[in-house]
Amino acid sequence: MTRGIFTPSRGGWALIRSTWLSWMQYRSFFFILAFGWMIPPLIYLLVWSTAAGEGSISGMTRGAFVAYYLILILVNQITYAQTNWTVGDLIRYGQINKVLLRPIPPLYDALASEFAGKVVYLVFVVPILVILAFVLKPELDLTLLNALAFIPALIFAWALRFFWGYWLALLAFWATRADALLALQDSLVFLLAGQVAPIALLPGALKTLAVILPFRYMVAFPVEVITGQLTRPEMLTGFAIQVGWMVAAVILYALLWRYGLKRYSAVGG
Amino acid sequence: MENTIIRVMELTKTYRVPVRAEGLGASLKSLFKPTYSEVSAVQAISFEIPQGEMVGLIGPNGAGKTTTLKMLAGLLHPTSGQVSVAGYEPWQRQPQYLRRISMVMGNKSQMLWDIPPLDSFRVLGEIYSVPKKEFERNLEELVQLLEMKELLTKPVRNLSLGERMKCELTASLLHRPSVLFLDEPTLGLDVSMQLRLRRFLADYNRSSGTTVILTSHYMADVMALCPRVILIHHGKILHDGELGTLARRLMPFKILRITLKQESMAENELPELPDGVEVLEAESNNLNLRVPRDEAAAITAKLLETLNVADLTIEDPSIEAVIDQVYTDGGQ
Repeated sequence: MTRGIFTPSRGGWALIRSTWLSWMQYRSFFFILAFGWMIPPLIYLLVWSTAAGEGSISGMTRGAFVAYYLILILVNQITYAQTNWTVGDLIRYGQINKVLLRPIPPLYDALASEFAGKVVYLVFVVPILVILAFVLKPELDLTLLNALAFIPALIFAWALRFFWGYWLALLAFWATRADALLALQDSLVFLLAGQVAPIALLPGALKTLAVILPFRYMVAFPVEVITGQLTRPEMLTGFAIQVGWMVAAVILYALLWRYGLKRYSAVGG
Repeated sequence: MENTIIRVMELTKTYRVPVRAEGLGASLKSLFKPTYSEVSAVQAISFEIPQGEMVGLIGPNGAGKTTTLKMLAGLLHPTSGQVSVAGYEPWQRQPQYLRRISMVMGNKSQMLWDIPPLDSFRVLGEIYSVPKKEFERNLEELVQLLEMKELLTKPVRNLSLGERMKCELTASLLHRPSVLFLDEPTLGLDVSMQLRLRRFLADYNRSSGTTVILTSHYMADVMALCPRVILIHHGKILHDGELGTLARRLMPFKILRITLKQESMAENELPELPDGVEVLEAESNNLNLRVPRDEAAAITAKLLETLNVADLTIEDPSIEAVIDQVYTDGGQ
């Protein structure tokens, strides 16, 4: 099943291109989606930067909050795996048959719409962020190390969020409304992945929970890395936990896909 | 059989369906202790199909046709039995196998809704890794056979149902599969479109040597295309062979159509008929009679003697009538 998943393939790229072409027809729909995802962090940006005023909260100034949230909006946009929502539908309505009949791994379809989606969203989100940056004046102390560490943190964050949502979505093989779990995941991401407040500002128990659970590593962690909120040891533990959860998510995905398919081909679609 | 491409032995599929009684109590109970009933969809069917043959899989709704087709295409895992298609066990879904088959489902599309067919075709060409030159050649051939050049650049959502089916067929044949599974390809199409698709399938089958298994509810499809039919009912094969033989086996009757010379028959004034003859219709000076197949000649001779016949024809019952009889009482 996993054979050749990560090797580049003609078919994979072609799928990405065509998905992208067909999605460009719905630009405005995706812009509205992207706009919707931007609003909650934008609200908290305004709340926290106003609260900080001329002083600072737990060491974060107004400008630091602005930088934190603007980057968070970008990271959230890049890591949001909207494909997960469609996997369940594919299974429920038997559309997955057409994917199963193709001689390439079904994961390609999901990756195709992931990459196609990212391009469409970012075309919309990046210009807005640039304008907001000019207006709101973020303060960012960027070091080379933090900038370099941000890149793997972001990639792992995407992979973790994608595969975590994917294995949840694959529960549709067993339960009809598995996408309720995706809604739950979104809520937990909202609470524990640095959207309501940066993790550093969360009260004790909640903070511990956020550090242990996978959700912080889907959004907040790369933002904390690039904004320099983490000490060297904190960053290293963060990477270890992030990679651990990512591996767990990939394993769960592979297992559920295997057993789910077995069940699907036993009961029929 | 030599050059057999599809071999099916004792293929059986039993679905496990959760049973839930009505009411809240029962649904709570089923949550903790689900009960299942076994529904047998296909029971120990066996057949072989040689390379290049076109076979019709017919039977009423729920007979097990689609289940059989899905097992052959590798979408379903059988409960027991063996299948070999082009040397592969379908449900292992090896990429090499998937590249050799194609499946068209009349009610499911593999076209992308929002982009022109040509773009979808190119993607499929890449997915099946068809070499560029070969792709262009196959595409041109199919476009010509299906007369669909002008459709290539229109978005799929703007196409009619028939035009979309042309696209589906092209999409499914671009990689030149050895075996093509067609599940209700003419569903919902108008008569002239059905005719054209039928002609295309016949031509393509002849020129390419692709083995085709087709299910259809339109007997005309099967009659026009498939020298051999496999009739499935309640998951069992009732007939495997020519359509004509099926009619003879299942309906041991002939239909006699007689036109009498006299102007008209008054009501209740039917002429005396020999034993074993059943009147299907009697109107004005026309008589439609059903007679036992092996007595047809003798009865015809007797009728020619006793009646003032202007015209007489002997026909086989229509295939629709045969099928209807099978579907309603299982061909008993």
